Amino acid sequence: MIAISRRDSFPLAIAILAFAFLGLFLLYPLLNVFGASFLDRTGKVLTLANYVRILSSSFYLGSLGNSLILGILSTLLTIAIGVPLAFCLARLPIPGKSALLALASLPLVLPSFVAAYALVLLLGRAGIVTRLLRDIGVPFSSIYGVTGMTIVFAMTLFPFAVFPTLAAFKAVDVSVEEAGQNLGASRWRTFRTVTLPIVMPAVLAGGLLVFIEVIESFGVPFVLAEDKPVLAVEAYKLFVGETGNPASAGVLGVLLIVCTAIALLIQRHYLGRRRFSTATRRPPPELVVKPWLRRLACAYSWGVVLISLVPFFAIIVISLMEFRGPVMQSSPSLNNFRDLFGQSWRPLINTLSLSTAAAVTAAVIGVPIGFAITRFRSRVSDLLDVLAMTPFAVAGTVLAIGLIISFNSGGLVLTGGWLILVLAWVVRKIPFNVRASAAILYQIDPSLEEASINLGVSPPMTFVRLTVPLMMGGVIGGMVLTWVTVASELSSTVVLYSGPWATMTVVMFQALEGTGAGIASAAATVLIVFTVLPVALVYRLLRRHELGMM
Amino acid sequence: MTAISIDRVSRSYGTVRAVDDVSLEVEHGEFFTLLGPSGCGKTTLLRMIAGFADLTAGQIRFGNKRIDTLPPHRRNTAMVFQNYAIFPNLTVGGNVAYGLRARGVAEEEMKVRIARALRLVHLDGYGARWPHQLSGGQLQRVAIARCLVIEPEVLLLDEPLSNLDAKLRVEMRAEIRQLQQQLKITAIYVTHDQEEALAMSDRVAVMRAGKLEQVARAQDIYRAPATPFVAEFMGTTNLLTGTIAGRDGEALRIRVGQREFRAIGNARDGESVSFSLRPETIRLLDTGEAPPPGWSVVEADLGAVEFLGAISRIELDIGDGAMLRVAGLDLLPDQLKARGRIAAAYDPRRVTVFRE
Repeated sequence: MIAISRRDSFPLAIAILAFAFLGLFLLYPLLNVFGASFLDRTGKVLTLANYVRILSSSFYLGSLGNSLILGILSTLLTIAIGVPLAFCLARLPIPGKSALLALASLPLVLPSFVAAYALVLLLGRAGIVTRLLRDIGVPFSSIYGVTGMTIVFAMTLFPFAVFPTLAAFKAVDVSVEEAGQNLGASRWRTFRTVTLPIVMPAVLAGGLLVFIEVIESFGVPFVLAEDKPVLAVEAYKLFVGETGNPASAGVLGVLLIVCTAIALLIQRHYLGRRRFSTATRRPPPELVVKPWLRRLACAYSWGVVLISLVPFFAIIVISLMEFRGPVMQSSPSLNNFRDLFGQSWRPLINTLSLSTAAAVTAAVIGVPIGFAITRFRSRVSDLLDVLAMTPFAVAGTVLAIGLIISFNSGGLVLTGGWLILVLAWVVRKIPFNVRASAAILYQIDPSLEEASINLGVSPPMTFVRLTVPLMMGGVIGGMVLTWVTVASELSSTVVLYSGPWATMTVVMFQALEGTGAGIASAAATVLIVFTVLPVALVYRLLRRHELGMM
Repeated sequence: MTAISIDRVSRSYGTVRAVDDVSLEVEHGEFFTLLGPSGCGKTTLLRMIAGFADLTAGQIRFGNKRIDTLPPHRRNTAMVFQNYAIFPNLTVGGNVAYGLRARGVAEEEMKVRIARALRLVHLDGYGARWPHQLSGGQLQRVAIARCLVIEPEVLLLDEPLSNLDAKLRVEMRAEIRQLQQQLKITAIYVTHDQEEALAMSDRVAVMRAGKLEQVARAQDIYRAPATPFVAEFMGTTNLLTGTIAGRDGEALRIRVGQREFRAIGNARDGESVSFSLRPETIRLLDTGEAPPPGWSVVEADLGAVEFLGAISRIELDIGDGAMLRVAGLDLLPDQLKARGRIAAAYDPRRVTVFRE
């Protein structure tokens, strides 16, 4: 029998609890989705018929193609916008850079389907700008479909590409660039052959985040796709339609997971052969460039960031206008908010309380996992690392379907209550919390903990009394980010909510399905306020730990 | 023949003059070292030659061609960086090929030249390796091969040995010097390590606060420092101050407190001067032993003795709080302590006098 030393018993305890939690609320539901996709109508016989049916249907093949095309196009466009922006922010003198950085991180926390909805209100078939253009005789076709969705994704997801790339540009050792020039390569050639390859892994990491966000996005295609079916939405529709037999939805769910897994593997394969870190003592200095170039960089940087915020400003303005049915009038009014809260305050209270519960739980589970995988390297902690990152590649819709299949009956019934929402959110946010706390832990010298244990405090008490307080700033920052993203979560919420437990995003979603443009925009405004405020309050913390993930 | 002319070159950062009106000429095939404490402007001067620091005044020419107006990539200099600056995204071969590609060298010729360069630095067969698979010393060799392969007008080396451990440092400096001699390439070397400078260089320029203190052959700069700063910076020395108390034949008599020193040099009576006397030039006389002819003797009390094995560092108290440092070969502390008062002999011709 292998004796477990006392030193290892604490991380092992964390690992066991983490495996138990993730096993029950992540692996088991996913297994059930897989299972459902391979079972026939009776639920007893293994079969590939479901796959044959889905993959021979041109409609569902089309939705797979649409999802992939959308993912690839959006990723490319996001990178095309984000990399130059990251370079400008890292290496060129841009006035108001810190304000710009703060504003650029806003689209990360603002709900992207709100931006999509704003685009519909502005440029949709009956959109304000569309009508204006039509009035002055400019022909304007609709923005629905792949074009519109790609634009919305690029506008809302570009920070995912910008921030890792920005950090990478800042981490490039200047002397490597100087060596390039010294050996006879021009500035541009050096950039192309040295700088860009060095930051490429960061660009790909950002690109992967974007691709996965796009593939699993529910809200944006729901608002903008029109006749273009995509996997995440079709899985939802199938699941809601074929109650009791989630076979077809299961197939689409598996396809979604396969898509993200392949993207992950491609990225790992590329990164596996490259290790590009350069030792930097100080970040590279700002480049001295010609005035016209500086002005261009400034206009570009501010332009991209401000344009990305236009939908959110627009939705706030629209929510303050009078609506008659779906048609906006030109007089300001607070009626939309009156209508919104006239129905019930419950959704807002649900959002606030459930998000808080989820953020706290995600931190309570995520921080110890981050601790276990950074401080104790072993095969168990490597496995835990992989498992804790898995939710990242699982679309919210799929996880939610899995949770419903798993906890609809039997010993543990969760459907119909609030707990299932919180659990889904916690599982989805665990990768972020683990990564964020691991990032902080890498900066805390382990010898501090050794000193505490050496002075007679047990490992668990050391963790609670020393490590957690040292990590507190980062943990709170991570919690606020979790809170904010969970408050605007739609893809699993829309599957899991039931009657009294509808959240603000559900209210928006329902209003979009109907004709309540006024109520929808009011709900969106409330969401924006409740995401921007906490982020603004902890902005200092946020800046240090933004995108600790990946 | 002059390879590099640096002509009244200056560089200011705000009010600080990093390089202050420096003029230098470096010959073809010469190993020229810029030596000085950190912040003296030596690296800035090197980076001016490479084109990474702008000149606020002056000119730099390679032969008759003015190069300080050219962008860095047109200068045909090759620089070995302090941290090697190996491209992490390219293999060893790719790193060495980099400058050749930028010059549009044909593939076949390139292969030959890369193989030759790698052989030169003893890295044959390493072409396909990735930088992260190499040790510090090997990265250093890649950096050198990458420079040599483009056959630059001048090889610039910016403290290339400072990241290596002591033993490797000594090996690499011999190797770099040997390569430079073998290829007869002009090299400018920046370091703050005077031992490195003496071991490798044909000529050394000692810099201080952006200005040149002295430019001379390595042995001259040690033996005949031009200023007290150079005397102290190059190794250890006894830098004493005193007043001229007359002459004794061709020797000056310099009074330091209660003691008198002799030195060959020029100064007026009553003038206050400083002078340098190297510890290793002083000999401790045995009891009753006569000094060599022409040498002077100073009596002193034994102070601290630091036993380092081959040599011992000895401090002699010459009164008024002044100390005379002596480096003695093959001496044991016990031998000295038995003696009490000590007679230290030195050759007045080895004393360097600095007039104010």
